[in-house]
Amino acid sequence: MPEGGYLSERARLYVPFFLGVLLMSAVILLLPYDTVYVRDRAYLHAFLVTVVLCTAVFLLGTLHNVLFWMRGKGLVRSPEGRLLGLLWRAARLLLSKAFARALAVFARDALYLSKLRDRSLSRWFMHLMILGGFLLMFALDLLVTLCMDILGYGPMIEEGGWAKLLFRDLGFEVAGAMMLAGLTIAAVRRFVLRPKIVRTELPDAASIVFLLAVVLGGFVLEGMGIAGGIDGHTQDVEYSFLGYAMSLALPASSGDWYDAAWLVHGVMSALLIAYIPFSKLFHMVATPVAIELEGLASKEGTA
Amino acid sequence: MTRLDISKLDVLSLLRFDACTRCGECTATCPTGGEAQDEEMVTPRGKILRLREFYKAQYGLRARLLGPKAVPEEALRELSRRAYECTICGQCRAVCPAHLDTIPMWENMREFLVSNGLGPMPEHQQIVKSIENYDNPWMQPRAQRSRWARRLEEDVKVKDSLKEHSEVLYFVGCTAAYDPNIRAMALDTATVLSRAGVDFGTLGNEEGCCGSTLLRTGLLEQARGMAERNIERFERAAPSVILTSCAGCYKTLRQDYPKVGKLPAEVVHITTFVDDLLRSGRLVPTKRVEGTVTFHDPCHLGRHNLLYEEPRRILRSIPGLKLVEMDRNREEARCCGAGGGVKTAFPDLAARISAMRVGDAERTGADILTTSCPFCYQSLRSSVEKGGSKLRMTDLMELLRSSL
Repeated sequence: MPEGGYLSERARLYVPFFLGVLLMSAVILLLPYDTVYVRDRAYLHAFLVTVVLCTAVFLLGTLHNVLFWMRGKGLVRSPEGRLLGLLWRAARLLLSKAFARALAVFARDALYLSKLRDRSLSRWFMHLMILGGFLLMFALDLLVTLCMDILGYGPMIEEGGWAKLLFRDLGFEVAGAMMLAGLTIAAVRRFVLRPKIVRTELPDAASIVFLLAVVLGGFVLEGMGIAGGIDGHTQDVEYSFLGYAMSLALPASSGDWYDAAWLVHGVMSALLIAYIPFSKLFHMVATPVAIELEGLASKEGTA
Repeated sequence: MTRLDISKLDVLSLLRFDACTRCGECTATCPTGGEAQDEEMVTPRGKILRLREFYKAQYGLRARLLGPKAVPEEALRELSRRAYECTICGQCRAVCPAHLDTIPMWENMREFLVSNGLGPMPEHQQIVKSIENYDNPWMQPRAQRSRWARRLEEDVKVKDSLKEHSEVLYFVGCTAAYDPNIRAMALDTATVLSRAGVDFGTLGNEEGCCGSTLLRTGLLEQARGMAERNIERFERAAPSVILTSCAGCYKTLRQDYPKVGKLPAEVVHITTFVDDLLRSGRLVPTKRVEGTVTFHDPCHLGRHNLLYEEPRRILRSIPGLKLVEMDRNREEARCCGAGGGVKTAFPDLAARISAMRVGDAERTGADILTTSCPFCYQSLRSSVEKGGSKLRMTDLMELLRSSL
């Protein structure tokens, strides 16, 4: 039977958590999105609802997994209370001298993947491309949303604007190309070369195929926009170099399907996010946390 | 349906299981899974995935929504057997790109298996009983623990640290104290200390098993009592340094005992201690020991405690001796196969791994194979003899003593 304080611990965790989810959902739904390429607002709304639902599923799934960790040895009260305690300690770390060390560990081991680099250059490159592309795309998404939907920054919105060409066209193209390169190496390694250490089960194959479909779908979508002359795809299209190459193989009429393709691409991306906590991709969350904890815990490298 | 008790799996282990990227880097170099048996289920990845599958079936999201699923008893037994085939050498930690500290993970997995009635292996029971009844794993009477010292040369004096204060407390360990084939390790260590003029003593017959075997097989509660009793003896002896010549005792005293109680002195391995004596000039090897030697890094000394250079400096200080390295050395050193209770429960597997390590040593062209752990010594010597190798198996202190 839970001791007294069990309910208050749960409330102290879940109330801010669900308020955070609601706030994030509200932000996603209330942004103006005046500048999105999709023409039919119904597609946009369908996408936004999917994003909100998928993000909520991702957060709930992640919380469920993290609370499961908290059920481990030595549990005195509730997993929620233990998680709150750890979050409090993490918050204190932000204000301590150890934070610089934590950042260094994160940069060296979680982002630069130092150990993988020492063991296999090809696998290091593969992971760096996927991880780097993903992070670059995420950063660009934040920047572009801020500039377009909050600040209304002209050069980011106007066709031919320097920021639009540099960030929205070239930036996203580079990020996508990085992910495509990494995923192609991963797919070839897993399905063609099949080294002995690789174990391929349905979830492994599904993760790579799903990711590849989303990334390739992005380039196809860009190509459809250019081929069909959709707004935002009419000037200096060479900045979107892979999308432009794709457009050369597509008929102008493919622009008619642009909105539908945009929705499919968006929904697939959102579903991928929702799938993370329930798949092997959850290591994207768990591994950096483990690296950080191992890095901060190891003083002399003792076990 | 009996549900698995996951309350013994610690938070970090649960996190690490989710953090495993399934890359398989660990499978190629795992001495028990990848190299000796080519059996995925024994590899770190295999064990992690199987255990996760089992507890997720009973505690995961699907289990919460649709109810827990039963895990077949034979599948659990299979996981347990495979988990106990691991020597806990830590090679997987050395290669894991996700930086997972796998050593405590495997020890914790065994604790979990024990708590669910799935461990240790039946073959371990005899050792456990011996430790409980005799305070050593070799079923030898307590009264004979200090018998090894009778063979010391007359000029080597060993104090009884519980009766007479000594600066250094030499924790001999059960294997060196009782096994007649390993006894030389204790004799050589005592002789080296004596030659350096070190004020040292032992706990005599009062010394208890360090509990390493219990800890490595998941019997934490039983080990706790052993640790408490030894710590109480250390407090009574009040030395400045607690010295061990056994790598297993060293790991246990240094890493596990502080979780039970505060130790009154620093725990130091003989290689570190002697290295300091050599560097300070208190010990000067003068006699030539001709030969080419290769050093086997014991897992408990190397990967578990990062002591790599000290034994090598000692070997280099011995006149006439030439040190050559095996291809896999230091952090990449192959395990000898004896650790984690494998030699007791799976002697054939241990012998296969040990034979591979002897092969590594033979390829260097060395004529002497040396180490600094009684278990590695036992295991490698057995393979050297069985395989008809020309290598001469020695303990590091034996080589050093010969040069004094």
